[in-house]
Amino acid sequence: MVAALAVLLLSSCAGPQQSALNSAGPQSGYIEGLWWLFFGILSAIFLAVLALLLWSLGRRGDSARPPLEQAHIPPGETEHRLARTVGAATIATVLILFFLLVSSVSVGKALANLGEKQKSISIELIGNQWWWYARYLNDDPQRIVVTANELHIPVGRPVQIRGTSFDVIHSFWVPGLNGKRDLIPSRITTEWIEADHPGRFRGQCAEFCGLQHAHMALWVVAEPEDQFESWMNHQLAPAIQPSDADTMRGYQVFMSNACAFCHNISGTPARGQVAPDLTHLASRFTIAAGTLPNTKGNLGGWILDPQNIKPGNHMATINLKSEDVQPLLDYLGSLK
Amino acid sequence: MTPLVETEPREIDLEQERRALERVWRHPSGLVGWLSYTTHQAIGMRYIVTAFVFLLAGGVEALLMRLQLSHADNHFLTPDRYNQIFSTHGSTMMFLFAVPMMEGLGVYLVPLMVGTRNVAFPRLNAFGYWMYVIGGLFLYWGVFTNTAPDVGWFAYTPLSGPQFSPGKRVDFWAQMITFTEVSALCVATELAATIMKMRAPGMSLNRIPLYGWSMLVQSFMVIFAMPAVMIASNVFLLTDRTVGTHFSNPAEGGDPILYQHVFWFFGHPEVYIIFIPALGIVSSIVDTHARRAIFGYPAVVLSIVATGFIGFGLWVHHMFATGLPQVAEAYFTAASMMIAITSGVQIFCWLATLWTGRVRMTAAMHFVFGFVAIFVLGGLTGVMLASIPIDLQVHDTFFVVAHFHYVLIGGALFPLFGGFHHWFPKFTGRMIDERLGKITFWLLFVGFNLTFFPMHILGLKGMTRRIYTYPAEMGWDPANLVATIGAFVILCGGIVFIGNALWSRKNGLVAGPNPWDSGTLEWAAASPPANYNFIHLPAATSRYPLWAAEKERVVVTGLRTDRREVLVTSTMDAEPHHRYPLPGPTVWPLVTAIGMSFGLIWAVFQFSGYYPAIVLGGIGLIGWFWPRRPAESRP
Amino acid sequence: MTAQRTLDVSYLPDYAISDQAPLWWGQLLLTFIEGTMFAILIAMYFYYRLRLDIWPPPGTQLPHLALPTIALVLLFISCLGSYRASEAAKSDNRPGMIVWLIFNLVFGVAAMVVRAFSWASLNFTQAADIHGSLVWTILALHSLDAAADLLFTVVLIIVLLLGHNSPRQRLGVHVDSIVWYFIVLIWAPLYVVVYWGPRLVGAPQ
Repeated sequence: MVAALAVLLLSSCAGPQQSALNSAGPQSGYIEGLWWLFFGILSAIFLAVLALLLWSLGRRGDSARPPLEQAHIPPGETEHRLARTVGAATIATVLILFFLLVSSVSVGKALANLGEKQKSISIELIGNQWWWYARYLNDDPQRIVVTANELHIPVGRPVQIRGTSFDVIHSFWVPGLNGKRDLIPSRITTEWIEADHPGRFRGQCAEFCGLQHAHMALWVVAEPEDQFESWMNHQLAPAIQPSDADTMRGYQVFMSNACAFCHNISGTPARGQVAPDLTHLASRFTIAAGTLPNTKGNLGGWILDPQNIKPGNHMATINLKSEDVQPLLDYLGSLK
Repeated sequence: MTPLVETEPREIDLEQERRALERVWRHPSGLVGWLSYTTHQAIGMRYIVTAFVFLLAGGVEALLMRLQLSHADNHFLTPDRYNQIFSTHGSTMMFLFAVPMMEGLGVYLVPLMVGTRNVAFPRLNAFGYWMYVIGGLFLYWGVFTNTAPDVGWFAYTPLSGPQFSPGKRVDFWAQMITFTEVSALCVATELAATIMKMRAPGMSLNRIPLYGWSMLVQSFMVIFAMPAVMIASNVFLLTDRTVGTHFSNPAEGGDPILYQHVFWFFGHPEVYIIFIPALGIVSSIVDTHARRAIFGYPAVVLSIVATGFIGFGLWVHHMFATGLPQVAEAYFTAASMMIAITSGVQIFCWLATLWTGRVRMTAAMHFVFGFVAIFVLGGLTGVMLASIPIDLQVHDTFFVVAHFHYVLIGGALFPLFGGFHHWFPKFTGRMIDERLGKITFWLLFVGFNLTFFPMHILGLKGMTRRIYTYPAEMGWDPANLVATIGAFVILCGGIVFIGNALWSRKNGLVAGPNPWDSGTLEWAAASPPANYNFIHLPAATSRYPLWAAEKERVVVTGLRTDRREVLVTSTMDAEPHHRYPLPGPTVWPLVTAIGMSFGLIWAVFQFSGYYPAIVLGGIGLIGWFWPRRPAESRP
Repeated sequence: MTAQRTLDVSYLPDYAISDQAPLWWGQLLLTFIEGTMFAILIAMYFYYRLRLDIWPPPGTQLPHLALPTIALVLLFISCLGSYRASEAAKSDNRPGMIVWLIFNLVFGVAAMVVRAFSWASLNFTQAADIHGSLVWTILALHSLDAAADLLFTVVLIIVLLLGHNSPRQRLGVHVDSIVWYFIVLIWAPLYVVVYWGPRLVGAPQ
């Protein structure tokens, strides 16, 4: 059983990290520590109970036992001994549980104190069926970044997620960084995350939200301060203009089809607000809320038949002429 | 007022009384007769068999889910079909299997164990069963017409509300709740009244079998918990969806989080409603097969009662991720951990009993051992979940799926299977095959652990719940495959059990009244019991009346045998108080159930359907209570 | 023939028209069920109230108090009928049972009629806002309970008038009184919540 555990735990170190036991920040670090404490103590208890249970089997053949008629209730001395043992076990249970309670509450308090430091960032995160809208809050409206499905954060700085939902209840969860927080329509819930080293951390919606709940992932990219700043500045810039006939054609395909009704590309007539912002689509490494890597082939497959990738999702199926597909993909691929 | 107790044994003529009782308690014949039964053994067995069929249905749904999840990016089921299946699986297991099975077992066993002839309200008993069956069939009518619920067994708003779940799927779910909740309330009311008022003379409170205590506590829990789910399903959901109320609509002052509060105020006691009867089953098996009285009876009773109370104070631990005030959340952590103490005390008492008893490793006892191992593991992961920081990581992941299957299957299903093997001779008059029973146990035990243990790890590695597929690069494939294989091993265990039960019914060793030499009163009746249970009701001179010497036992004489009469005793000390005639077979409970159901089902499609429900139900009730026999209308 | 120690109960009465009857306990448990349901609705009212700044929501006229208060008084008076009928049942007084059940019925029905008229002053439906949803849900559920019990009382009266007068009918009269007490008693806090709520906990004042 232990070997199986080890195999299963270690078997996928290579893949994307979405493990609560692979913490990359102070919050998830505290929780991981608490988990191992609980695991150690509670496993010991489990093994003890199991041992007592199986040991009772060994006592079956004890021939010094009184005969059947008198065996229904053992002598009073046995009962007293048992009472003391059960009493001791109960007291031990209470003490252990109390210890675990105190540990848990302490960690909870420590987590609460990790937020609200200086130099924090606030990101407004809004859950939608089945993608994530993100807006980097800033007192200066010129420095508000809007993006979708992929958050970049600076290493070592606390980030406040202010979450809500436009439709049903979703849940923001990036296990490498912290526990989850529900995104509830008409309420704002808050949570602090912080990465203590660079990396890419995968998260996934954790509250059942309908047909494509399974395909509502997001990525948090933690990068050093200077890379983060340059990412922010880049995101603030309007979309790159089409530079050749091919991408110009693609731009026209985009603007003349229904795409512009839902999606926003800053600096163009496409001002739709109900779908992921595409201004810097090509700078993201996944599409469709983490469902597919952002490659030309995948993007083409997605646009031509979104229902095939995420059946039931709200993206309209656009009928493109076959000669329009490549230019469109080239245009979108240019939106770095 | 204390009647004379004969101190010298007296000669009594059993044959004449037996013939009279056989005549008065005889089941009516024909189809209409079969539909009119009001004896508790018949209705209890109907509940058990029906609930078992729903267990199989839920099992099929589980196998389909496991097939879909056995490897990444699988296309065996579409997302819509998967969502319907997991929602139906949960709803079936919780509402159509677990609670009715525990209720049905109680309906069968409680009158026997407390030494009476029937439940306090036999017609209500029949009515409750019909409502349950109709409700279950109604839901499955939805399942087979693409109208199965698809929003999880708890149907959170706003996903389940009118805006995001158009159509009738959620309405079917909500009304199924009405049927099953009415049924559970009927059984709870009659079992509580039976246990409080119809016990054998001398069965004071501290002599009630532990199974009786657990059914009493469970009945009170049902009474206080079910109204909440009625409000959640009928008020929050049905009226919001059909007549435009705003309980879940924030734009008009509603709140989806209140739905969660009200639902879980029911939902958490619900799992104890399922679990507490199982604790009683375990005590029944342990005292019989370890051949000693359960150690620490007062402690066990207090633990059961405390579990019942504390169980109502935990519900917010299902909502830790919703951002509630920290102080409130800390209280719920403490309470959620505290309930481990009450369960722990009982486990310690059973271990003490096993240690100092003379254990017979029958198939039933195997299931008790399996229960301890699996339930304790599940309880310990429950302590983890009580901790808010840990919960915020593993909530809504497969870790929770593992936890609740460990506590529900370990804590309820294993005791149930133990109970089936233990009481099989009582139900059928034959012994179940012990070897096949042990094979059943091992298949279920190994299969269960193969299926659910890896899920702890999957949850820690980020696999969320209620997802119809997952990407290959997550590395979740091996654990999922193991889980799927385990599910098929469980299936094998189920097949062995069914085969064993069917074969043993016809070919098992014939069993007398008390093949296990148990001490509680159900074993004083014949195997299977006559409709009247006992020719003379037994009195209880101790906690284990049948372990008293033959000449120490007392029976009750003087009840009429020309009508269905039982003895009503005082609540605390079970002193005889008065005799009470029970109604005989009648078809009115079925008529009432059909009338009400017709309206309730209509109401799913049009709210005004509630009016025929009321009218037809009212007509049924009038027929039900109308005095018919001469004996009922004159003094 | 077997030898056995016996306890003879043949001298005991059949039926107990008292709280020792299982049926009395059954009805009591029914009131627990219904009471829990209404308690949850009351809790919900205050939960929703605390989350809003304006109560009742804009456009809601304050319900008039006169008719509902009269109905409340009529309900309390009807309890006298239940009590007297129940006492008559215990002393096997058939005319007494009939008279007092009719008393109970008359005042109960009068209360329901007055209540129905009072609904005219409610200028909102259940679909208006959360306050409307709460008020109409409470009114509908309580009225349904009351109407069902009044109908049961009618049936009891008819059965008694037709000459049936066995202990079973008397037990029925006795236990029906518990249900009616409950229906009236639970209405008191519900009345306060529905009709006085906007005045006591409303805002802005």
